[in-house]
Amino acid sequence: MECRDMICLIHEYLDGDTDELANLQLQTHIQSCVNCRQHMHELQRAIAFVQSASHIHVSSDFTARVLAQLPAPTKANLLSGWLRNHPFLTAAAVFLFLMTGSVFNSWFDRDDTLQVSSANLDKLKIDRERNVVVVPAGTNINGDLVVRNGNVDVQGHVTGNVVAIEGKVFVASTAQVVGNTESIEAIVDWIWYEVKNIGNDLLPILP
Amino acid sequence: MDFVEKRLTQRAKRGDREAFAELIEIYKDKIFQLAYRMVGNRQDAEDIAQETFLRVYANLHSYDDSYKFSTWIYRIATNLCIDRGRKKRPDFSLDEETEPGQGLDWYSRLSSNERTPEDKVVTQELQETVQDALSHLQPKYRSIMILRYIEDLSLQEISDIVKLPITTIKTRIHRGREALRSKLRLM
Repeated sequence: MECRDMICLIHEYLDGDTDELANLQLQTHIQSCVNCRQHMHELQRAIAFVQSASHIHVSSDFTARVLAQLPAPTKANLLSGWLRNHPFLTAAAVFLFLMTGSVFNSWFDRDDTLQVSSANLDKLKIDRERNVVVVPAGTNINGDLVVRNGNVDVQGHVTGNVVAIEGKVFVASTAQVVGNTESIEAIVDWIWYEVKNIGNDLLPILP
Repeated sequence: MDFVEKRLTQRAKRGDREAFAELIEIYKDKIFQLAYRMVGNRQDAEDIAQETFLRVYANLHSYDDSYKFSTWIYRIATNLCIDRGRKKRPDFSLDEETEPGQGLDWYSRLSSNERTPEDKVVTQELQETVQDALSHLQPKYRSIMILRYIEDLSLQEISDIVKLPITTIKTRIHRGREALRSKLRLM
């Protein structure tokens, strides 16, 4: 092998890239070739000199001086930094804020008139004086029945939930309710009901 | 080590100054060493080291945790050194007096382990020769030789720092070694 190629091999050797065969080649060549031996020796010496360059230290007040030059953290910075670092919590907080807003609104903005929502309004008997909505015996109501500001007297058949907000649900012995019956009177119940509704609406979306 | 640094950078990102101070403590000598060997004088090297940490602090929010912190900080420091070299030729010598008329040269400011006076003279001479040999390299070779042999980094990490393929790094190290050899062979 030529000495020129050997110099390349020497560099590979110094980078730790040579395998055993190449090492052996290099060793045998170097034992016979003074020039290459000299060259390798000089390279190793140069490296050793550079490595021996004494490790100097920065002045002792360096850290303090750098810290003194840092921009002062403002409250806004801290807040925005926090928001940036916690995107999920931020989103959750915004969501919760808007949610509570709308739930409270729908609780406080109601009026006292009797409100009924059902798919089969015509089959219901509504007694405005006593504030009672009656599901007459023998009738069949499809879907949920929700009544605000009044009681519900179920004598017939309902294939959904029966919910009375600010009222009571009476279930007669002849009645059949496929879903749940609920009476909601306190705001806590109301919020719970809303949250459950959201949950129920969201569940089918989830896989 | 990496785990500790990760925790520290995360805390520093959140504006925790104590964590940032710890990061400075870990890296200040390494960065200063790199800068000193690049520019050849203490004052500029401290300026560069300071600027490095200020930039690190200002850009912490854009630091990506999946990279090593050391790679990132070395990259900032290397770039600053090379920029500084472009603006100003290093014409400063360690033999220059620190303040005119005091008879102190910059060697007196270099801290070194206590040695006998004869040892000191020899070490000083060696130091000077090494620094001189380094300063004659082109900056792109100089930075890589310093990262390899003074900061003792792997080829892979150097390649990450300067964002060049490993083959390029190897070529530069080979040439750098040859250049240093011709400078230092007569020592």
